[in-house]
Amino acid sequence: MKRAILLLGVVCLLAPGVLQGAEKDVYIVGVDAAFPPFTWVEQGEFRGFDVAVIQAIAELAGFSVEFRDLPWATIITALAQGKIDLIASGLTVTCERDRVIDFSLPYWEVDQAVLVREDSVLNAITAFNGTVVGAQAGATGYQWIEDNLVAQGVNIELRAYETYDMAIRDLENGRIAAVLCDTDTAQGFVDAGRRVKIVGIVKTGEQYAYAVTAGDPYGLLPRINAGLRRLYQSGVWAELVAEYFPGRPVGPVPLKRTAICE
Amino acid sequence: MNGLGFLLRELPWFWRGALVTVEVLGGVMGLGVLLGLTGAVLQVYGPPPLPALVTGLERLLRGIPPIVLLLLVFYLPWDLPPLVVAIVALGLCSAAYQSQIFRAAIQSVDRRQAEAARALGMSAPQAIVYVILPQALRRAIGPWSNEFSSQIKDTSLAYIVGVVEILRQARYVISYTYGNSLLIYGFCALIYFVLTRAGNAVLYRLEARLWVPGFERRLLGRRA
Repeated sequence: MKRAILLLGVVCLLAPGVLQGAEKDVYIVGVDAAFPPFTWVEQGEFRGFDVAVIQAIAELAGFSVEFRDLPWATIITALAQGKIDLIASGLTVTCERDRVIDFSLPYWEVDQAVLVREDSVLNAITAFNGTVVGAQAGATGYQWIEDNLVAQGVNIELRAYETYDMAIRDLENGRIAAVLCDTDTAQGFVDAGRRVKIVGIVKTGEQYAYAVTAGDPYGLLPRINAGLRRLYQSGVWAELVAEYFPGRPVGPVPLKRTAICE
Repeated sequence: MNGLGFLLRELPWFWRGALVTVEVLGGVMGLGVLLGLTGAVLQVYGPPPLPALVTGLERLLRGIPPIVLLLLVFYLPWDLPPLVVAIVALGLCSAAYQSQIFRAAIQSVDRRQAEAARALGMSAPQAIVYVILPQALRRAIGPWSNEFSSQIKDTSLAYIVGVVEILRQARYVISYTYGNSLLIYGFCALIYFVLTRAGNAVLYRLEARLWVPGFERRLLGRRA
C-alpha cells in the first residue's frame, strides 16, 4: 500500500513530463460523420476529405488512427476532456474554441454561400431584406446573420434548424427565402439535385483546422503541420482536393492563420 | 442512384444499427429489472433508512430527462465505451420507472398471503421469494411491456454519446446523399414499429401464459 502511494506520488511529479513525451498506440480521431465532403460514413466506412488527409498524415508520421463518430453537440467538449485525441471534421478556427482546445495550422478556407430556391428572383441583397431566412443552429452562417444583420436592426427573421438538410427542405417548400451555409456544403446540395441555387457568396474567410486536446499532450500538432506541408510538396494534397472537390483551385498548405486570439 | 437505391445499398448497415438498438435495449431493460426489482423490494420491505433512500433515488432519477442523464454519464472522468454509457444512463432511468411497476405489483398481492406464509413458518425473505414475487412478477408483465415499448424508442437518444444505432445510421445516409429524409426516416419508423410490435407480441403471449388464475385478463384472441 505504502509503495503504491509512493509510486503514485512519483507518477504525479513526473506526469507533465511523461505526458509530453507519451505515445499512444492508436489515436482516436473524432469526426461528425454527417458533414460531406469532409466526413461521412458510407456503407459502414468512414469517408471524406478529412478522413483521407488524416490517414495520409498518420502514414507519413508513423502513427495509427481510429475514427470515432460523435455529433457536433458533444465533439468539442469530448476533445477538451481528452475522450478523443483529435478532431478532423471541417472544424472552423474560432477564439472561443481556441480557449479549450489547440488548433493545427489551417488547411482550408470557406466562405458562406447564399442559397435561394431554383425559381427564385431574389439576389444576395434582396434575399436578406424583409424576408425569413434560415441556417443551422450554432453554425457560422447562423452566427454571421445574427451578428451582421439581426443585431444591426435589419428587417429579417432568422430561423434555426437542427441540420442544413432541414433548412434546405423548408427553402424548397417556400417556407423561407434563403439559407446561408458553407460554400462546399452549398455546392453539395446543388450537385445532389436539390431545387436550390447559389446566388452570392459572403466573404467570411473562415479557416478549417485540425484540433487536439489543450496542451497537445501527445505532441501531435507539429507532426500534423509538418504532414500537411509534406502532403502539399509531394502532390498528394492536389490529388485529394481533386478527388473530393472537383474543379476547386489548389493552393499551398498549411495556410496562414487569420484568427488572432488573446 | 435514387434514394431507394441508396437505402437498399445501406440495408446491411441499417440491420447492424437495428442490432445495436436491440443491444442497448437488452442492456437497459436487464439493468432496469435488476435494479428496479431490488429497489421495489427494498421500498416495500426494507428496514427503515432504506425505503426512504430508495424512494429519494427513484424520485431523483425520474426527474431527470434521459438525454441529460446520458450527457452526465458521458462526461464522467472515466473512459467508458459509448455502448456502456448508453446502457448505464438509460438503464438507471428505466430502473426508476420499473421500480414503480414492481412496487405496485408487489402491493397488489393481498398482504394476508404474506401473513399466511409467515404463519406456516416461512421466514420473511422466503415469503417474498416463494409467495409474493411469483404472483407479483406475473402481474407486472403488462405494465412492464409498456416500459419496454417506451425504452425501445428512447434508445434513439444514444446517438448523442456516439452509439451508431438506427437513427444515427439514417443521419449518415441523409447527409451524404444530401436529401431523401422522408424516405429514410420513414424506413426508420418502420424498423422501430416492427421491433416494438415483435417485442410486445412475445410479452403478450408470456402474459397470457403466466396469467394468475382467478384474476381478470385481457382477451388475446386465444385461450391461455
